[in-house]
Amino acid sequence: MAEEAKKLIQFKNIIKTFEDGTVVLKGISLDIYENEFVTLLGPSGCGKTTLLRILGGFLQPTEGKVLFDGEDIVNVPPYKREINTVFQKYALFPHMNVYDNVAFGLTIKKEPKDVIEQKVMRMLRLVNLEDYARRNVTEMSGGQQQRIAIARALVNEPSVLLLDEPLGALDLKLRKEMQHELKSIQQEVGITFIFVTHDQEEALTMSDKIVVMNAGEIQQIGTPTEIYRRPVNEFVANFIGETNIIDGVMPEDDCVIFEDKKFPCSARGFDKNEKVDVVIRPEHLDIVPRDQGMLKGVVKSQLFKGMHYDTIVETRAGTSITVRMQVSEDKPVTNNGEKISASGFFLDLEDATELNDAKIIALASAEAWDAETEEPISIKTVEHDIKPETGDYSVTFSTGAGTSITVQAKVVTANKAESTVYQEEIYAMNFFKKVEDIQESMALDTDLKMWANASAWSLEDENEKVEITDVKYDFDPETITPGVYEVTFATEGYEYKVSTTRAAEEGAEVGLIFRPEDLHVMKRGVRQ
Amino acid sequence: MKQFRTMTYPYVLWIAAMIVLPMLLIVLYAFTESGNDVLTFRFTLENFARFVTDRVFLAVLWRSLYIALVTTVICILLGYPIAYVIAQMGERANTIMILLITMPTWVNMLVRTYAWMGILQDEGVLNSFLGLFGLGPVPMIHTSFAVILGMVYNFIPFMILQIHTSLNKMDKNLLNAAADLGADRIQTFLRVTLPLSLPGVVSGITLVFLPAVSSFFIPKLLGGGQYVLVGNVIESQFLTSGDWNFGSAISMIMAIIIMVSMYFTRKIDVSVASAGKE
Repeated sequence: MAEEAKKLIQFKNIIKTFEDGTVVLKGISLDIYENEFVTLLGPSGCGKTTLLRILGGFLQPTEGKVLFDGEDIVNVPPYKREINTVFQKYALFPHMNVYDNVAFGLTIKKEPKDVIEQKVMRMLRLVNLEDYARRNVTEMSGGQQQRIAIARALVNEPSVLLLDEPLGALDLKLRKEMQHELKSIQQEVGITFIFVTHDQEEALTMSDKIVVMNAGEIQQIGTPTEIYRRPVNEFVANFIGETNIIDGVMPEDDCVIFEDKKFPCSARGFDKNEKVDVVIRPEHLDIVPRDQGMLKGVVKSQLFKGMHYDTIVETRAGTSITVRMQVSEDKPVTNNGEKISASGFFLDLEDATELNDAKIIALASAEAWDAETEEPISIKTVEHDIKPETGDYSVTFSTGAGTSITVQAKVVTANKAESTVYQEEIYAMNFFKKVEDIQESMALDTDLKMWANASAWSLEDENEKVEITDVKYDFDPETITPGVYEVTFATEGYEYKVSTTRAAEEGAEVGLIFRPEDLHVMKRGVRQ
Repeated sequence: MKQFRTMTYPYVLWIAAMIVLPMLLIVLYAFTESGNDVLTFRFTLENFARFVTDRVFLAVLWRSLYIALVTTVICILLGYPIAYVIAQMGERANTIMILLITMPTWVNMLVRTYAWMGILQDEGVLNSFLGLFGLGPVPMIHTSFAVILGMVYNFIPFMILQIHTSLNKMDKNLLNAAADLGADRIQTFLRVTLPLSLPGVVSGITLVFLPAVSSFFIPKLLGGGQYVLVGNVIESQFLTSGDWNFGSAISMIMAIIIMVSMYFTRKIDVSVASAGKE
């Protein structure tokens, strides 16, 4: 349709900079054809409303041209444009009734009374409000006000109707109704609708053409199916519906490798072995017995959604590292009315070279106090024989009065694990802890991460942190006894959102299948 | 909430003592004969009859209403454009302008009226200035011009503030909507801005007309006693002639006139607010 239709509006490299210097539109070029239902879709602040206001004539672009029917209209005031707008909060005139609101534009044009009456009543019939002509607009419900605003704009027979998030103020049910109504009105009157929204569902339901915008730039222009099935980048894929995005490599045309397996697909035009993002929509995946699956994984969670289940299947665990936690009971040494306590500790080889007393006291959580008053007493001397070599050493802390305690320090090589699959590295340290510290912890996962000094980062850029999403241990923190325990830290692995009607147990080993034509390959962009 | 109700008692008492009681006393005085005994309740309508039948008093009443009306009209004609221009300004200029408008009211009205005396006198600032060009002296003080000038000067801030508030709280998108529907700036003003700001104008009228109609020191100082208004008559009945009964009757007549006029202004207000509701 677009090829034969006439270009009605052309945005030519529109740049808009606000007074405070923020650039809201970074060179927008866009053609809009006759009789199209075009949706400008994007998160708030992406510039979609600004673009609409420039078209309505309420804002001037800093640079660029807006052609309407081939003529530049940048300097044409709003009241001379053949464009009408349905405003965000409708902007109905509160001092007029429904009829007068709708008749406003025609009265301004000084059309004969009987003509006005005819046109207004026809419009009110179109929006199903003919019985409300004499009502005060402030008495009308949100949905009715919405329809008055549409009638008020359409009665002027504009060639373009702009709609600025007109459904935002309505509740869900009404919004769905209005979506259908708007679409049928547009088909009935046969003019161009330009609709601004941040709601992807609205966009998919109503539009002939969707323009996805982000940060003042157009990301993709296409039909709803194109945008949904073949997003051009990660932003669009994520913004339009739930999605799975997996790292992949294109060894040749129509073939993609991900999760170390080759899959057929239809994608061309990539370099040999180019790194790509592979998109699979949740509804294109299904759960099957493990031996029939193209991918194999474990069900991590399943939520019942009425029509289907939202299931998450993990095909591969993240990068993980296991450390040993030595749990001891707190046994302070008592001497002359003084008490002193300290626990053993682990030390990284590379940290063993630059030690001082304060650091050792902190590592061993050494402290001394008066047995009666519990007033803290300072630790005067720290004796140790720690050398920058792996091995066991002893450390003695003592107070001025001679109360002392000796603990063990272990110097070990740094405990790191690296994953080439995820291009990330994870680090954590063995540690000593007292029973009561574990029992008293309010947020044990977070505390364990802190005690083990666990962190993960990208191999490509050490400053890019990777979140540790999983902390596993096999003790009960309430009833823990002294001993050695293993704690495992892991980053997020490959997880697939699956939208399926099949129920699956949490923890079940399952297979995943999909059709090759549902795989979509896109260029690897800048990660959000 | 209920346990706090007792806390309103002092205020109820205060209102009773300071507002209701004096008003009842005025009514009592208006309907009784004058006499030396404070407590002789001899009812009469003579105080009212005296006012209505005396051409001099009726002329004074008429003059008062006329002056107040002229003052109010001038306040609207001057105040609306000022309020409109201020409402168009940026937020900061807006605040400063409103501050400048309200600032004179920080000084006592009496003092400011005395200042006008100094300006308008035959040997005052204005006439001395005209004298430099060999003009004048133009008699200005003790004319109806001086009285109206004094009233407009004193009461116009109330008009500006009321109109400004109603213009300022108006949804700017309504103006965009009007422009979008093909109205140019003048049409937008006449069909949207003006009708929507009328409630502000109406409350401005209330705030200007009421004090203007009953004002007594402005006509006294700027009208020089030759220009008697109802307020002056009431004042002299109480302070000079000592005829409290007659003074109370005139006060009551004024109160009734004001109430009736307020009733009609309110009606206009309501019909403006819901214009088109048939």
